[in-house]
Parts: sequence; C-alpha cells; structure tokens
Amino acid sequence: MNVVPFFEWLDASWLASFSKTYAGLFSMVQAVHILSMVMLVGMIILGDLRMLNIVLRGVPSDVILRNTKKWIYIGLVGIILSGIYESSAIAMKLAYNSFFWAKMAGLAMGIVFMLSLRSAVYSRAPEVIASTGPKTDAVEPWVVKLVALTSLFIWFSVAANGRWIGFS
Amino acid sequence: MLNELLFKFATWLDGFQASTNLHEALYAYGWVEGTHVLTLTLFLGMLLVIDLRLLGVAFKELPASTLMERLDKPMMIGFVVMIISGVLLYFAIPVRSTQSIWFRIKVVLLIAAGINALLIRNMTRSTNLTWDRDPIPPKRIRVGAGLSLSLWILVVVCGRNMAYDWWDCHKEMPYFMYWAAGCVNELAAFE
Repeated sequence: MNVVPFFEWLDASWLASFSKTYAGLFSMVQAVHILSMVMLVGMIILGDLRMLNIVLRGVPSDVILRNTKKWIYIGLVGIILSGIYESSAIAMKLAYNSFFWAKMAGLAMGIVFMLSLRSAVYSRAPEVIASTGPKTDAVEPWVVKLVALTSLFIWFSVAANGRWIGFS
Repeated sequence: MLNELLFKFATWLDGFQASTNLHEALYAYGWVEGTHVLTLTLFLGMLLVIDLRLLGVAFKELPASTLMERLDKPMMIGFVVMIISGVLLYFAIPVRSTQSIWFRIKVVLLIAAGINALLIRNMTRSTNLTWDRDPIPPKRIRVGAGLSLSLWILVVVCGRNMAYDWWDCHKEMPYFMYWAAGCVNELAAFE
C-alpha cells in the first residue's frame, strides 16, 4: 500500500498551511503532546508498576487500574489530536521517516495490547499480586509480570521513537 | 549585576571541552535530552496521580496518604533523573540557556513549585490528615494541588519553548527583553 499520496494530501491541506504559519501555536500544541504523553504513559506506568508489585503493593489492583482508565483515554485523545496537528506541519518529512513509522507501529501495538492482553491478564491476576481476594481463573504471577514489562517496553519505544523524530 | 555574573559563569562552563563534546556529540546529546523528556512520564506521571487525588477527582477510594507516601519514592527517582539530565543539558549549552527567557521563567517556576510542594506538605501535616479518607480533600489542599499541576504544566511549556530562538539575544528586541534574557553584550550597546 502506497501511503505517500496521503501525506501529500495532508501536506497540501488547510491544516498544514495553518500549522506551518503559526509557530507560537505549534509550540503550544507540542507542549500539549508532551503533557498528554505524561498523562497517558504516567497512568500506564502506575498500573504496570503496581502489577509488578513495585509500587502500592497490597492496595487492591482493580481500584488502581479502574481509576487510571479514564485518564489513559483522555491522554490518548490529547496525544492523537495534537499529533495529527503536528504531523500536518512536517507531513513530507514523516512519510519517509523510519522513527515515525516505528512510533506508529508501537502506538497501534500499545493500544491493541492494552485493550486485549493487558486488561484480560490483569483482571485475572492472582491474589499475591492483585490483593483482591482468591479467584478461580487466576493466571500465574510471572504471566502478569511479563505483560507488565511488555507494556512498559512498548510505551517506552513509542515515546523514544517519537522524541527521535525531532533529531532525525 | 546578576546578569553579568550568570553570563560569566556560563562562559566559564562553555570553556570546558566536555561541554562542547556533549553538545556536538552525534548521539549522546539526544540520549540525554530524550531521557529528560521521557522521565517526565515517571516524575510528572506520579505527581499527576497524587495531585488528582488531592483535587478529589481520581483515586477517591484510596486514602490520600497512601498515594502521597508510597508514590513519593518513584516520583523522587524520576525527579533526580530529571535534575541530572537537566544539569547535563545546561552544561552542554550554557551560554544560550543562561540567556534564554524561557529557561529563566522555568527556573522561577521550578522554585515556586518547590515552595508550593512544601506548603502542601505542611498543610497535610498540620491537619493530621483528618480528611485522609474523604473523597474530596479540604479546599486549601485542592488549591495547592491545582497550583502544583498548573506550575508544572508551565514548566513543561517553558522547557519545550527553549528550543525556539524567537527571543534569543541575536534577535532585534526591546531593552526590557534584553535585560530579562540577560543579553549582556546587547545591553552594553545601549550604554
């Protein structure tokens, strides 16, 4: 599939002419992008560190995970909207930038992983991790920890690749 | 006076070969900068969790003290990494950073955020955490948490804007801006 025409279309769009014109607004959107990352990844880190029993051990994990959910979605919306705005200003650079594509692959993987495996495994965490009482369908602790490490790794790669777009 | 002193200090740092090496390094500078930005997720992320609880908008089922006491360590680990990487970034580009209006505002905001954090701590101590399990903490705690988040958001904005040269010393600016940014040489031209 050739995606270059899409970036050519984005580069010629009214959004691109707008985002390329106002440098001050662009830097504000960049700040929103970073702050959305803090909200999204910060909340994911909290959940993952909790499931690794590194922070808040003994505090019922379902309470923590339930509370992070809303902020993860707000962060995700913020990061995608500000990201589309930013990408319009440098569309032709991104079309050929491997860090951008690695970031997009990581982002897609991160979202799918979070909604499928991560949530399924975390809800079946054994008592030694979850502290929510015995379950009949509990998985082994190492499975939960592997999922937590994978989640941390995926989101780290998204953020690191994103930062490196600016250097490339 | 202070402008001259800061400029002298920055010029002195600039004389180190290590400063130039780090600035011009192919990857090292990017890694330090990347670490600085990415560690925000740990430091500001944990701070966000605590402040949202103190604002009474999230984690309301948990005692405020649980989050404050037990997320303090990961938050401070993040903070230390941010300070170390931040000092390295300043060391790599000392003169321009010293004469950056954004960096100057950022430092003032950091001090304000630090004082605010101390005030929040004193307030929680003096109330003996009688509101620990209340879903919505007392008003002055919420004000402190709101102030904390606002200050840190502005710190991030200032940090991000340091990359832009809109108000660098080599630009045409009013006297006040040269003074505020500490453009010592440009100010001398006014004398």
